Amino acid sequence: MLVKALSGLAVAFAMSLASAQAADVTVRMLHVNETGDPYWKKIAEDYNATHKGVKVIVDYMENEAYKAKLPTLLQSEDRPDIIYSWAGGVMRAQIEAGYIQDITAHKAEFDQVIYPAPLGAYEVDGKLYGVSVQLSEVLLIYNKALLAKAGVDPAQMKTWDGFLDVLKKTKGAGVTPLIMGGADKWPMHFFYSYLLMRLGGPDVLTTAETTEGGFKAQPFVDAGAKLKELAALEPFQDGWLGTKYLPSQGQFGDGKGMMALQLNGFIPGQQKNATDGKGIPNDQIGLAPFPELPGGKGKITDTLGGVQGFLLTKDAPPEALDFLKYFVSAEAQKASAEAGVYVPATKGTDAFIKNPLVAEIARAISNSTWHQNFLDQDLGPSVGRVVNDVSVAIAAGDMTPEDGAQQIQDAWDQR
Amino acid sequence: MADTTAPPQSQASYVRSGGLTALIFLPPALTLFTVFVILPIGEAGWYGFYNWNGLAALDNFVGLENYRQLLANKTFHQAFINNLLIIAVSLAVQLPLALGMAVLLADRLIGSTAFRMLFFLPYILADVAAGLIWRFMFDGDYGLISQTWQALGGDPLYILADRHWAYAAVLTVIVWKYFGFHMMLYIAGLQNIDRNLYEAASIDGASPWQRFRFITLPGLKPMIKLSVFFSLLGSLQFFDMIVSLTGGGPLNSSHTMVSFLYYFGIGRMRIGFGSAVGVLLFILCATVAFGYKRWLMRDDND
Amino acid sequence: MTETALQAHRPRKGPLALPNSDVVPASLTAPLTGLPRFLILCFVAALVMVPLLATALGGFKELGELRTNPFGLPKVWQWENYRGILASARYWRILGNSLFISAVTVALTLAVAAPAAFAFAHLRFFGQRFLFNYFILGLTFPFATAILPLFIKVRDLGLLDTHWGIILPQVAFSQALSILLMRNAFRQLPAELLDAALVDGCGYMRFFLWITLPLSRPILATVAVITFVVSWNNFLLPLVVINTNAKYPWTLGLMDYQGEFIVAWQLILAFITLTILPAVMMFVLAQRYIVSGLTAGAVKG
Repeated sequence: MLVKALSGLAVAFAMSLASAQAADVTVRMLHVNETGDPYWKKIAEDYNATHKGVKVIVDYMENEAYKAKLPTLLQSEDRPDIIYSWAGGVMRAQIEAGYIQDITAHKAEFDQVIYPAPLGAYEVDGKLYGVSVQLSEVLLIYNKALLAKAGVDPAQMKTWDGFLDVLKKTKGAGVTPLIMGGADKWPMHFFYSYLLMRLGGPDVLTTAETTEGGFKAQPFVDAGAKLKELAALEPFQDGWLGTKYLPSQGQFGDGKGMMALQLNGFIPGQQKNATDGKGIPNDQIGLAPFPELPGGKGKITDTLGGVQGFLLTKDAPPEALDFLKYFVSAEAQKASAEAGVYVPATKGTDAFIKNPLVAEIARAISNSTWHQNFLDQDLGPSVGRVVNDVSVAIAAGDMTPEDGAQQIQDAWDQR
Repeated sequence: MADTTAPPQSQASYVRSGGLTALIFLPPALTLFTVFVILPIGEAGWYGFYNWNGLAALDNFVGLENYRQLLANKTFHQAFINNLLIIAVSLAVQLPLALGMAVLLADRLIGSTAFRMLFFLPYILADVAAGLIWRFMFDGDYGLISQTWQALGGDPLYILADRHWAYAAVLTVIVWKYFGFHMMLYIAGLQNIDRNLYEAASIDGASPWQRFRFITLPGLKPMIKLSVFFSLLGSLQFFDMIVSLTGGGPLNSSHTMVSFLYYFGIGRMRIGFGSAVGVLLFILCATVAFGYKRWLMRDDND
Repeated sequence: MTETALQAHRPRKGPLALPNSDVVPASLTAPLTGLPRFLILCFVAALVMVPLLATALGGFKELGELRTNPFGLPKVWQWENYRGILASARYWRILGNSLFISAVTVALTLAVAAPAAFAFAHLRFFGQRFLFNYFILGLTFPFATAILPLFIKVRDLGLLDTHWGIILPQVAFSQALSILLMRNAFRQLPAELLDAALVDGCGYMRFFLWITLPLSRPILATVAVITFVVSWNNFLLPLVVINTNAKYPWTLGLMDYQGEFIVAWQLILAFITLTILPAVMMFVLAQRYIVSGLTAGAVKG
């Protein structure tokens, strides 16, 4: 009996814990942007100060941990009210499962504040499910001093052969050409994605998705072959397969390698994670688009990147939506735009951007002839991760391009 | 039940009141055990027939498709081999080491207790912590192993980034962490061996090696079996250290079956597929347990 | 029933009570003695200790010094690394969470398994053999095999992201071994004791509470130690059950910290040192209990 009483007590205790926080409305937001975190926490503070009875808590979680956690996270009663999202297939899976709120009723308000293209990424079947906050672009980020040391010209990198030449020359000069966080896998899929985009052109993914066996088509195999060609030069730093993303930022910041094909967020990241906490200063950083491929259908102005933003989860209180509205306002986004942490999706924030690098990226995105979302997000959770696996395996010489394409196809069929 | 004025109860009424007491004593354990142990194992069998992401309705019945995919999956093959490697290393390295240390420490010689405790210490650390400690040791830039190698004139060693060596690193840590536990088993076993045998043998002029070979080793047989059994079971549930030491990488070369289940089942929202892995693990565990029982009984009959 | 009768029936220390009760002439069992033996032991001890010492000392260095001075003592002892962690709420919170989870798991395990073990040891009822084997079934199945359905179960019961979502499955999975160990120990109490008690009009319940339990303290301690250590070190279950970092037990907290400060090895090392410290201290203080508890549990189970 004692036991029964005890376990009864236990359940009662658990329940009381769950309902104890009902006094104030608490809104929890969870995201993965390490450098944006302090700015976003500040936005929440400002909001809390002017909104009595509401407490917004912003939490940061490491990227990989967040992606692994998300499926279980959403199913908990205590799920965060506002979650970070990359839109695309992963978001669609979350919507289909019924964990995301439809906010179409507020679309007009958001339309006034956010650029139409990024906001459109959060629409599915004519309904709006989230808001875009930051735009990002994947591009070649290089260390000018090391480039000079290696004696190479960035203009050479416009073509694939020129790019490979630069890698060879750099290596010959005793400088590591590329920094890669291979342990997290997704950094390598940027190479595969860009190759695919340059080879296959804007409709490469839709064609693959709608054709039987479409992921085994030529562009997918060829992208793998080109990646293999690149990796054969051994351009990455020693131990790249075991290096995670954040330490790879640190290695770039410590001057251990000349270049990275990375998101613009890599720039403040390498400064934060360098051993001296300073890294390579902005004026020593140069940017270049991913090279063009001969005979490919894509253009050099096509960009790969993200349209990151936030989704409102099921059962989130109305206060959460209200906070999101404030969050995406130009007023709230001003500080991070000024600091150059990312390119905001909010209209009118370009005026705040002081950092010339960020301004350059903002320009590239707005001039983009085709902005493709990250493949590992766009294709959904199970297929996306296979693309990452395949990219690393091909680059490590562990898989043939044909096998790689086959594996992506299998994952798509078994989705 | 305990009416003090009643005459002594008959045997039959003991049995009846025993049944009543059991009705009070058993249900809590039975309920918890059934709800959280037996039902989930059964449900794993059920989910294993579906392609299910754990969220939507459970309606996409795929029969044995999950199992077919699993058995064709190269990463799973590697994970299975890795589990076998744990067993191999347990038998080839850990067992002799633990046995050797046990023999050296079974008697009350100077420092025996201190050494025993020292060797046992890694066993009580969480696998996650042990994995992180060794992630540091093996780190190519900061770790002691790479630093030692460089001090000897070599290039930095990125052991955890090398698909041929990363899993060897995991195996090293397993021996480091678990040999002390097996040593304790052997020490316990040694204390069961009749001392008179040793004295008789030494009077007969047996060398220390002969005494080890003909008294110690046969006397430890049950403990050796037990130790092997623990290595088998430990291998089948090995997970935490993979997460903190290698994350299954590089190139998915260092997964075990459980880490495969976690990363490819939960991490990719494929509950049905992951459940199939669980079912396979369950069958292996049952086989090991059953085999061990047979093995024990066979020798008892010798 | 006199006190001496009880004393006499107190279960004797099994062969596994490790304290060396019987002294054996030195050279009988060991093939090696003297200096060679000592040197071998020191060598193995060094292999065991170096990673631990490197971790604790590395926590006192600056990041750069980990590279420039990997083997020596810190040139300047960076107490700040440790002080910062000790002053953080995060460190105490994850330890507190683990303590709560483990303590409740132990208490519930004993409260649930002891009566069941008593029923199997001393009562006779319909289906006894079958039910006992049913529990024993759980002995060899780690929860890893059923982690996915277990997760679904915890979710459906609304226990996701609560400490009860860890505690209840842990208690359930500890039943098999606990019941087996306790049943075997309870059985060592002589049957005459129970018969006498029943004739004296002492019911099963009182017998259980006032005689069985007090006489079985060693086995209760063994079960408690095993359950506590398993719970304290548990990682997989909290990993799938807990989402909010305020509720993390220390194992999750450690990985979380590692992910956050991934480039600052000196801080990670200090954090590892401080989080394993409670276990190491417990071990040093109660080594006999812990060693014999863990090995005895393994051998008898």
